[in-house]
Amino acid sequence: MNYRLMSSVAAATLMATTAVAEEVRVYNWSDYIDESLLDQFEQETGIDLVYDVFDSNEVLETKMLAGGSGYDVVVPSGTFLQRQISAGAFQKLDQSKLPNRENLWDVIEDRVSKYDPNNEYAINYMWGTTGIGVNINKVKEVLGEDAPVGSLSLIFDPANMEKLSECGVHFLDAPVEMIPAALAYLGEDPDSQDVDTIEKAEPVLAAVAPYVQKFHSSEYINALANGDICVAFGWSGDILQARDRAAEADNGVEIEYYAPKEGALMWFDNMAIPVDAPNPEGAHKFLNFIMDAQNMAKASNYVYYANGNKASQEFLEEDVIGDPAIYPDEATLENLYTTSPYDPKLQRVVTRMWTKVKSGT
Amino acid sequence: MLMRRALLIAVPYLWLLLLFLVPFLIVFKISLSDIALAIPPYTPTFKDGIAELISQLDFENFVFLASDDLYWKAYLSSLQIAALSTFMTLLVGYPIAYGMARAPEEWRPTLMMLVILPFWTSFLIRVYAWMGILSSEGLLNQFLMWLGLIGEPLTILNTNVAVYIGIVYTYLPFMILPIYAALDRMDESLIEAAEDLGCSRTQAFWLVTVPLSRNGIIAGCFLVFIPALGEFVIPSLLGGSGTLMIGKVLWEEFFNNRDWPVASAVAVILLLILIVPIVLFQRNQQKQAEAEA
Amino acid sequence: MSQTIFAPWDDPNEKPLIRFENVTKKFGEFVAIDDLSLDIYTQEFFALLGPSGCGKTTMMRMLAGFENPTRGTIELSGQNIVPVPPNKRAVNMMFQSYALFPHLSVRENIAFGLKRDKMDKERIEARVAEMLKLTRLEKFAQRKPHQISGGQRQRVALARSLAKAPKLLLLDEPLGALDKKLRQDTQFELMDIQESTGTTFVIVTHDQEEAMTVASRVAVMDEGRIIQVATPANIYEYPNSVYVADFIGDVNILEGRAKPVGEDRYEVLWHEGVAPVTATSSAPFSDGQTAHLAIRPEKIAISTDRPDNADNAMEGKVLDIAYLGNLSTYHVGLPGGQVIKAQTANTRRIARRDITWEDPVWISWSATAGVLLAE
Repeated sequence: MNYRLMSSVAAATLMATTAVAEEVRVYNWSDYIDESLLDQFEQETGIDLVYDVFDSNEVLETKMLAGGSGYDVVVPSGTFLQRQISAGAFQKLDQSKLPNRENLWDVIEDRVSKYDPNNEYAINYMWGTTGIGVNINKVKEVLGEDAPVGSLSLIFDPANMEKLSECGVHFLDAPVEMIPAALAYLGEDPDSQDVDTIEKAEPVLAAVAPYVQKFHSSEYINALANGDICVAFGWSGDILQARDRAAEADNGVEIEYYAPKEGALMWFDNMAIPVDAPNPEGAHKFLNFIMDAQNMAKASNYVYYANGNKASQEFLEEDVIGDPAIYPDEATLENLYTTSPYDPKLQRVVTRMWTKVKSGT
Repeated sequence: MLMRRALLIAVPYLWLLLLFLVPFLIVFKISLSDIALAIPPYTPTFKDGIAELISQLDFENFVFLASDDLYWKAYLSSLQIAALSTFMTLLVGYPIAYGMARAPEEWRPTLMMLVILPFWTSFLIRVYAWMGILSSEGLLNQFLMWLGLIGEPLTILNTNVAVYIGIVYTYLPFMILPIYAALDRMDESLIEAAEDLGCSRTQAFWLVTVPLSRNGIIAGCFLVFIPALGEFVIPSLLGGSGTLMIGKVLWEEFFNNRDWPVASAVAVILLLILIVPIVLFQRNQQKQAEAEA
Repeated sequence: MSQTIFAPWDDPNEKPLIRFENVTKKFGEFVAIDDLSLDIYTQEFFALLGPSGCGKTTMMRMLAGFENPTRGTIELSGQNIVPVPPNKRAVNMMFQSYALFPHLSVRENIAFGLKRDKMDKERIEARVAEMLKLTRLEKFAQRKPHQISGGQRQRVALARSLAKAPKLLLLDEPLGALDKKLRQDTQFELMDIQESTGTTFVIVTHDQEEAMTVASRVAVMDEGRIIQVATPANIYEYPNSVYVADFIGDVNILEGRAKPVGEDRYEVLWHEGVAPVTATSSAPFSDGQTAHLAIRPEKIAISTDRPDNADNAMEGKVLDIAYLGNLSTYHVGLPGGQVIKAQTANTRRIARRDITWEDPVWISWSATAGVLLAE
């Protein structure tokens, strides 16, 4: 986190001294693109692409709210997008410069409009679910053959977690993901904005927190792939990446992803242009480039996330479009929920609760 | 002449003003503000005009900090971790410094180099290397299992133990160098005199060597304690969910909560806590300078 | 004289306090002490004298226990102390650098050794007070070493090493850091203290005057060996070698071949074309053996006329006069080019003296004035 800040500071200083050619600065999630696309963009447009990464919405939001980030394209998730729009962090997209917009998938655009009314500020890049990644052999070794791998009880039942702690469990360090999941486990409304309801999540989370080896939003990819941990509650694509890394390494680790049957959070990562972007022109070019059906397919084929681009689907590989963990079937889609941002007061309660859960105080 | 002297005196004060006082006042001002969904995410700002600005500032965030035991626990836990790791750094660093000061003259520059050498690599890379060493599949566990000392891998990474290891490792040179400087200056005949007067080797060490390296020990302890207290990177990379340190809490207030005013209030109090050891440290340095003059 | 002379070394029944027996000390290949044997007696003020690197400091460090001999034994009161560590020896040392503990006051420095003996508080207090009085440091008891003068520091070091009433006190160049005037005063003070405490002192010094002043006996050392051990007077008057004669005081050395001319009487042919000199010697020399006549300048008389009845007399010319106040040393050039030093006491006022530069003079001495040495 800190190191990413440092590297981008260093990058920013570097850029300041060499800013001669036109350039676009993109700030995206780590491990979230096929890097050949970056070269391709530079070749097609002649614009220098500066590509920088982050691993939490919070880091991105801090930069957006501080202003003057120097980025032209950023990728906030749904609730964060909504809050940053209302803080005035983004500029409206110039639709005339985005001819590829017609490629987008109306189903997804419709869902994203919850956060970005009329889809004025952002385009959807990827979407996915938050669920459970398991090292299936180890989990069965610890919990037996009938381990509840598809259920939230795997990670919220202290009896299971106590045993799983032997082989290692990681949770996302993101209260906006974990609290709705705990509410879903309790049968409450995961999108509740009611303090009393939200506080019901605390004992659930607190009961299992001692068995969580680490709360972190990106380390679990490697940890899962290496076999250092056996369960991660994380984002679908990340867990699928871990699955493929393990398969490539041929280290005997077998990873599976489950969208929990009690309901899974559906999230959207969207590209937007900061209000003070140095090169909004170039930013539009980048957005349009990304919305090209083949380019978007290339990205999805690489990162194993579903995208919001209907036209790209014909170019997707079978193990992406045909994998229900990536493109869920109708029944699963029904079971997915979305959340809304908390107001600042509720946010403080949530973060405080989260700190309490993590530190055990 | 007078101008030049005034200028010479003014430079450090200007430096202090620009690099410490002004940023501190900005942070202090933010700590008196309220959270807002805006850019920047607090209110009021200077755009609102000075009168408006002043009328809206209050100590509400400090009251909030006092009312929530999380912060006190985090400060206390940081103090405890910093104190304990300072002590452990002393335990590890003193023998190293002692060995260096007693080593043959021609080896000393090399030994000194070896102590400083790690600084040539990025601090983050070194902390990451420790993650590789301490993880359950890591070098340390594999080595211990190969030796047959343990049957099951030990969980070290993501615990407080890893934080202690990380802090001791990172700040060790800050402990070694001042102690080495003190020991190196010491006349070896003092130890012989102590033995001559009836001390065993051990007694001579405690009665002569340790008191004479006292200033080095104090300097080393402060140089480790002060940065360790606000440490953020080491607990967040090596520590686990149970590691409660104020640096991490501050980070969370700032990034997760996006609550700049509370984060600033946490920082202001951290600074106030740090001022005590910093003033003590300054006084020790001054006393030492006077004794040597 | 009714007073008995202190000379335990001449008494075959006296047991030595310290006995070095065939002691050799090597540092790697370097031989610091070479098969050395030496006895030191109780209440002696014994000086180890020699140039730097002669091994005198090594001797002292072996006595203190900081070095162990490579071979041989060292006895203290008849007991081999080689295996005894420094802190268990009834030996204390005053260091050249004084080695005062800078973090302790004068009082605490002096009490340091006493506290190690687990002595009770009042006794420590009393002993420290005694030592402060002995070294006239009462007023400085509360000061730290950096707050007192060099001479005071020297006395603190002495008091500290004496506090435990050691059987043997070692002093490593104790006066080296003091200026000349203070050094002379302190020499007598040291002697007083040695006498009043009855402690055996062994002092290491490279200053022959200091050794001669304070010591009951002096050992002249060179290259890890003792060349001569004797009282200061005997060292001066009867050096056993050219090395000792040359190291102690001023001397003329005339080298030549010995020719026996009577009982214990020899002529030394020391230069072509110059009359041989006559000297007596109890040590026998064979005819033609190399001999050195060592003769002190003050034993040579200088006069304008040829003296009567002198065993040895020769004519020369005054080349140089060194006026030392109480004494004057004349450098007299002989016709063959050799220079002989002669010294006279200035009993008369300067204006009345009749010998000056370039004057032709006679120098003369008796046959018993010098010492005839083989090497």
